[in-house]
Amino acid sequence: MGTFIQLVVDGLAMGSVYGAIALAIVLVNQSTGMINFAQGGMAVLSAYLAFTFLGLGLPLIVAILLSVAASFIIGALIERFLMRRFMGRAEDTQVVVTVGLLTLLTGICGWLWSYNNLQFPSLFPSSAFTFLGAAISWRSFGTFLAIAGIMVLLQLLFRQTKLGLALRAVADNRQSASFAGLPVGRLLMVGWGLAAALGAVAGALVAPRLSLTPGMLDTTLVYALAAVILGGITSPVGVVVAAWLIGVLENLAAVYVPIIGHDLKIAVPFILLFVVLLLRPQGLFGRKTVVRV
Amino acid sequence: MGAQKTGLLRTPWFQLTLALVAVVLLVVAPLLLPIPVNQTLARIGVFAVAVLGLNVIMGYTGQVSLGQIFFLGLGAYVTAYGVENGWNIALVFLAAVVIPGVVGLIVALAAARLGGLAIAMVTIALPIIGVPLAKRLSDVTGGSQGISARFSSAPDWTGLANDQWQYYLVLAIGGISFLLVFNLVRGKYGRAFRIVKENEAVAGAMGISPYRYKVLAFTIASMVGGVSGFLYMVVVQYTSPETLAFHHSISLLAAMVVGGAGSIIGSLIGGIYYVLVPNFTNEVAPTLTSLIQGAILLLVLFILPGGIASLPRVLRRWTGRSSRSSPPASSPPEASAPSSDPSPSTPPNTSPSTSSTTPPSTASVKEDSP
Repeated sequence: MGTFIQLVVDGLAMGSVYGAIALAIVLVNQSTGMINFAQGGMAVLSAYLAFTFLGLGLPLIVAILLSVAASFIIGALIERFLMRRFMGRAEDTQVVVTVGLLTLLTGICGWLWSYNNLQFPSLFPSSAFTFLGAAISWRSFGTFLAIAGIMVLLQLLFRQTKLGLALRAVADNRQSASFAGLPVGRLLMVGWGLAAALGAVAGALVAPRLSLTPGMLDTTLVYALAAVILGGITSPVGVVVAAWLIGVLENLAAVYVPIIGHDLKIAVPFILLFVVLLLRPQGLFGRKTVVRV
Repeated sequence: MGAQKTGLLRTPWFQLTLALVAVVLLVVAPLLLPIPVNQTLARIGVFAVAVLGLNVIMGYTGQVSLGQIFFLGLGAYVTAYGVENGWNIALVFLAAVVIPGVVGLIVALAAARLGGLAIAMVTIALPIIGVPLAKRLSDVTGGSQGISARFSSAPDWTGLANDQWQYYLVLAIGGISFLLVFNLVRGKYGRAFRIVKENEAVAGAMGISPYRYKVLAFTIASMVGGVSGFLYMVVVQYTSPETLAFHHSISLLAAMVVGGAGSIIGSLIGGIYYVLVPNFTNEVAPTLTSLIQGAILLLVLFILPGGIASLPRVLRRWTGRSSRSSPPASSPPEASAPSSDPSPSTPPNTSPSTSSTTPPSTASVKEDSP
C-alpha cells in the first residue's frame, strides 16, 4: 500500500509536468490553431536561463521567476517575428516551422551550455514525509502543488479578467475579435508568452529530476501530446486530467506490469491513446468540431 | 533569348537525352570512383528512398509524419533478422516491405481518425517508443549492441567490388521505388492525395474519403520506409536502436522540406542533403550541427518554401519576368506565357494560402514576392 501511494504521488508530479506542457500546447492551439512542437524545447531554454541566473549568484526562486519572465518575452517575440510570418499558411508548413524551431533551440542550448548533463537544484527539499504509512517526497508533492496552483491562476486569468476575455475572444474568432477593436496581434503574442512562461515553470521543476540536457523534454513533449489527444484539444481541464492519468498509470504499469517495466512505460499512454482514438476520436473530454468549407 | 533557351530545355527529345545521360552516368560512376565516394552515393540512395516515402504522406498528402525513421529502422531490423535466420533474400525483402506496411496501416488507422495534426502528434511517439522497444527485444534485435547482417557482398560472377555491388543494388531497388512512386503521385491516387492536402472538406464532397486516402498514403510511406531500411542494411550492414532515434526523424523531415516537399526530384535532393550536410557541419563545427540544421530549415521555409527543387522554377519566373517586361507593348502574361512555359504560367486560381508546395506552385512564389 505504501509503495502504491508513493507511486501515485510521483505519478501525479510527473503528470503535472506533462500537464503543464500540454496546457501550453493547448493555449497556443486555441489561439492560433497550430500545434507547437517546440514547446518542450522552449521550456528547456527557460531552464537553462534559470541555470545561468543561478550561476550569477541569485537565489533559486528568483532565478526561476526571472527565467519565467524572460520566457514570456521570448515566447512573445517568437510569435511576432517567426510564427506571424507563417500565419495563414498550410497547417503542415506551420508544424514544420515549429519542428525547425525545436531543432534550432536544441542547437542553441547545446552550443551555449554544451550537451553534457548539468545538475539543476530542486526548489523543494529532497527529504520525504510520511502520510498513511507511505513516504512521499517533498519534491513530487511540491511539483504537483506548484503546477496545480498555477493552473488555478490561469483559470482565474481566463475566466475573471478582461485580458482573459480578450484572449478567449481571439481564440474563438480572430476576425470578429479584430472587428471588435481588440489588438489581435498583441494578444497572440500574450498567448504565446503565457504558454512559454508556463513551460518555463514546468522546465524548472522537472530539471532536477531529469538533469539538464538540450533534449531533456523531448520525451515529455511526447507525453504532453498524448495528453492533448487523450483529453481532447478543446478541453484544458480534460488535458490536465489526462496528463495526471498518464503520469499515474505509467508509474503503476512500470512497477506492477513486468512486461512494461521502466524502460517501456512510455508505451502506456499510447496504448491508451490507441484504444481511445478508435472508440472516441474527439478525446475523453473534447467536443466534436464541425468543419465549415 | 531566355525564353528560347528554356524552350530548348523543355523539348521532349532534350529531356529524354538528359535522362539517358543521367542514367549512363549513374551506371558508369561506381566503376570509376573511389570506394568512399561509392559508399556515400549508396547512402544517399538509401536516404533518398526514405525521404521519398515521407514525401508520399507529407509532401503530397499534407500530413506531417515525425515517425518515418521508425519504418526505416523496422525494415532494417526485419532484414537483419531474416538474414540471420537464413531466409531466402527475396523473402527477406518482401518481409522488410510488408511488415512496416502493416505496422504503418495499424498506426494510420488510429491516428487518421482525428483530423488535423493528430498524425504528427501520434507519429512523434514512434521513434521515441521504438528505441526502448528495440533495446528490450534483445533476443530479436541484439539489444543496444545492435545486430549486423552481411549479405550484400558482391557475387563472384559479377567481378565487382563490394561497394560497387551495393551501389548497384541501391540504384536498382531505389530507382524502381522512385519510378513506382512517380507513377503513383501522377495518377488518380496522386490527385486524390493532393485534394486531401488542399481541403479535406472539398475532398469529402467529391467522394474522396480523406480518412481512407490518409491511411493509404501513410501505409505506402511506411512500405517505402521499409524498402529504405532494407537498402540501409545492404549498405551499412549493421543496425542498432540508434538507427531509429528521434533526431534522425527530424533530420529526415528537414531533408524533405529542404529538398522540396511534394517533389520527386526533391526527394533525391533531400537524400543528398541528409547525408552530406551533417558530414559537412560535423567537419566545421560538431557542436553546431543541430543549430545549423534548424537555421537552414527555417531559412528555407522563409525564402524558398518549395525547397531546392523549386529553385529552377523560381529562377525561371524571375528571368521570365524581366525578359517579358522589356517589350512594353502587349499584355505580357497572356501573350508570351503559353509559348515559353506552358505548365506553371496558369494564373493561381487556387487560393494562395493553401497551395504552398504543390507542383504548379506559382501561388507560393506570388505569395512571397510582395
